[in-house]
Amino acid sequence: MGNRPAIVAVGRTKFGEHYEKEPEKLIEEAWLKASQEADIERRDLEACYLSDYFLPITNKLGLEEGFLSELTELHVPMEVTRSFSSALFNACNAIQAGRYNVVLVGGIEKMTDRWDKIRDDLMLLEDPWSYYAGCTPEANHELMLRAYIKKYGISGDNLEKLNTALAQISVKNHLHATKNEYAQYQRKITVEQVLNARKEARKPLGLYDYAPISDGASALILTSEDFAEKFTDKPVYILGSSLATDYLTFPAREDLTHFLASKIAIKNALKMAGISLWDIGVVELYDQSTVMEMISLEDLGFCEHGKAWQSIYASCQDYKGYYEIDGKKLFTNLNGGLKADGNPLGATGGAQIFEVFKQLRGEAGERQAKSDENLKYGCVMELEGFGTKSYVYILGRNHK
Amino acid sequence: MSSEPIERRVSYLGDRLRGRRCGICGKEYFEVRDYCGVCGRKSFGKMVDIDLFYEKGKLEICTLINEPTNKFTKLGKYIYGIVSFHNGKIRVPGRLTDQITKEDEEIDFSVFEGREVVPRFRRRYSVDKSDVIPTISLAFTFADEYYPHQEYNVVKPNKEYETPGIVGYGVYIPRFRIKEGGMERSVPFIDEDSITAAVEAGKLALIHSGVDSTLVGKVYVGSESNPYAVKPIASKVAQVLKLGEEDEDVQGVDAVDTEFACKAATSMFKDAASLVNYPKSSIRYAMVIGTDNSQAAPRDCPGGELDLFVGFGACAYIFGKNDVIAEVEGWYSCTSDTPDFWRRDGQPYPMHGGRFTGEPAYFKHIRKAAKKLMERLNLKVEDINYFVAHQPNVQFPMKVAKELGFKEEQYLPSIQVAKFGNTYSGSSPLGLASILDIAKPDERILIASYGSGAGSDAYSLVTTNQILEKRKRQKLTVKYQAENPFLSYVDYTTYRRLKVGM
Repeated sequence: MGNRPAIVAVGRTKFGEHYEKEPEKLIEEAWLKASQEADIERRDLEACYLSDYFLPITNKLGLEEGFLSELTELHVPMEVTRSFSSALFNACNAIQAGRYNVVLVGGIEKMTDRWDKIRDDLMLLEDPWSYYAGCTPEANHELMLRAYIKKYGISGDNLEKLNTALAQISVKNHLHATKNEYAQYQRKITVEQVLNARKEARKPLGLYDYAPISDGASALILTSEDFAEKFTDKPVYILGSSLATDYLTFPAREDLTHFLASKIAIKNALKMAGISLWDIGVVELYDQSTVMEMISLEDLGFCEHGKAWQSIYASCQDYKGYYEIDGKKLFTNLNGGLKADGNPLGATGGAQIFEVFKQLRGEAGERQAKSDENLKYGCVMELEGFGTKSYVYILGRNHK
Repeated sequence: MSSEPIERRVSYLGDRLRGRRCGICGKEYFEVRDYCGVCGRKSFGKMVDIDLFYEKGKLEICTLINEPTNKFTKLGKYIYGIVSFHNGKIRVPGRLTDQITKEDEEIDFSVFEGREVVPRFRRRYSVDKSDVIPTISLAFTFADEYYPHQEYNVVKPNKEYETPGIVGYGVYIPRFRIKEGGMERSVPFIDEDSITAAVEAGKLALIHSGVDSTLVGKVYVGSESNPYAVKPIASKVAQVLKLGEEDEDVQGVDAVDTEFACKAATSMFKDAASLVNYPKSSIRYAMVIGTDNSQAAPRDCPGGELDLFVGFGACAYIFGKNDVIAEVEGWYSCTSDTPDFWRRDGQPYPMHGGRFTGEPAYFKHIRKAAKKLMERLNLKVEDINYFVAHQPNVQFPMKVAKELGFKEEQYLPSIQVAKFGNTYSGSSPLGLASILDIAKPDERILIASYGSGAGSDAYSLVTTNQILEKRKRQKLTVKYQAENPFLSYVDYTTYRRLKVGM
């Protein structure tokens, strides 16, 4: 099968605040890094798939394709969608269909340009009726946690352990980010800091439970399998790609404790890749909050429903760099996750893919997973909205 | 930025909490959808309208919002969560309203979760002063606190009376009070205004009367604190309460706002009573609402003396000829051009306290209207069981009642100003409601309103025996709202902040 999509190069910017840079500058930087890595020329590109969640709102930019055309002097087909995963999804489909052989997938976001209104925008886009009722982007996460605690009857010592486990997720992600030169926050934090922030807010989740707002860009070059060797001898194949969708209004969903879209997406992605879940050794989860990382471990099937916090808690008592779940190792959010790496919505998925790409190629440097055997497969999960869309990608150096 | 079409659509669904139920599988949607997501095409034409406006829900889960999004910042901190209706068949987001969360208070969410809540019609969030005011009923209060859940049971019109009269009424006063100088005054919560109060009062009047809202052919809303200079409160009331026949998204009802200082509502009692009595009119019922977020300048400013007396609230009366609880026996109105109190367009607060306050204004007009009416109906003071006057303070109504020859037992029961403050357009209607709450059948009530500018409407009302039957339907009586254990007292600064609103 010569049309299998293969990633031949990745690039990204540091995530954080880039007030001095135009949005186009960021994507240029990410693209240049990726193109240098694989020695690709602009003329090699047959199409560009871009993503930004809301540049038209944050920067009053529409038709971002035109900006990119000016920047690259390319006149190839270009399409803009919302998340990096959605751009990649379309790119995979096109490659598989045999339409193109070499495409650029890029993502970009400039959230701090509208820092003062960003929470209103996010909430309104994510779940308008909840916004009208007074919800904030953080509140849905807290409600999900409340629903989780109630559904699984977690109380007393166990509740304390659950709360500690959530704090540990943040501590662990910050620890990972100290080795990530691109990360927004390259500093350690402590469980006490996480807990104190909650106490200060008088809420179940606090400042350190949430991913920040960020600027940044990411890019990758996707080719068909046959073309990959032109650019690299270590391509990473996209073995599984899937997308599932759920209601926009969170309260209207049947299950408030899990993301149905993620459960469907993982099933389809595994089926497509023809592997089983525990063939996956490294995973990048969408930890917009610590709750989301915990829930996602359950949605993807790594942990039983209502029990992920137990594995997290146990793994983090003496953290060795991975979650130990039923005796198996799962390297999770090695780049620092959204929490510490940053979360420029349209570019976030690119940073997730970037990490798994590097890990599978054994090129993650200090961050490289210390696994017993070579990592075979990695998984990336990205959400759009509060679980409204869930993308799952399964990447591998080899394929069956 | 504000988009009127978006506002229109969000309000249309959100004010009334409209939805649809699939006639085949029973799935419910908070949305007016034409087919069911489960049953698909075969459910076209089988979707049934539902709304949650008179229902009670359950607060499933909640959290504290202490850093709201920009448009909600004026609410400060509030509890937000998910509310279910119909045993979980339908779930909506919602915030708790009428709660002031203290700075350092530890909050145990489990105290709130699982409790029954009632949807309340409120302002949605802050917008620019020139924008359309967004409203919504995804605001809730606990059913076991100040505002209980009451079912709206439509009762088929039964007995027809010769003389039209009041068939039902509702008084809405929020739970907040300020206590100063021997008086308690009602204070709106920050998301309330004269529009939201008018809807609340109208809702309570429909509940009390049992009148089918589609049979209400006209609604008058009297106010001097409409947040709009141009745009009626009455249109919002008509749409939210579904007055008149509903055809697509238009209500078959006439709706109008009236203005004459504090007599804007009472002036229309006779119009409502006459309208339902016109032989060729198809209008069975007419609703009159007096609503005010009574305005006063801050205490140290010109006109600021009013700040010691203003209240907040609304009263709604439904007039008709069926199942009357108090017949309108007669009326007399008088008017003169007397500038004792006024507010120029664009000014936030009225001017008051000049030469004409008191004798040449309030006393002269009320005396004239009451005396003339008694003369015309050939009534003596002894023929009247209760006397109700406009209540800008405690002294004025007592003084005018004594001058007219009434005894304490005739006028004291109606004097409510010390509990609620001056509710302006709702003031004498509130006094009247407090009497209707306690009156026996065949009693005569004389009410004399007063509106600055100036004029007075006097009415003689005679109660019927239906007043007793209908009383059972209303938990939110005047006394209940005055002596409620869930009253919340605020200080002066909070009172001014709440009154200015979102």
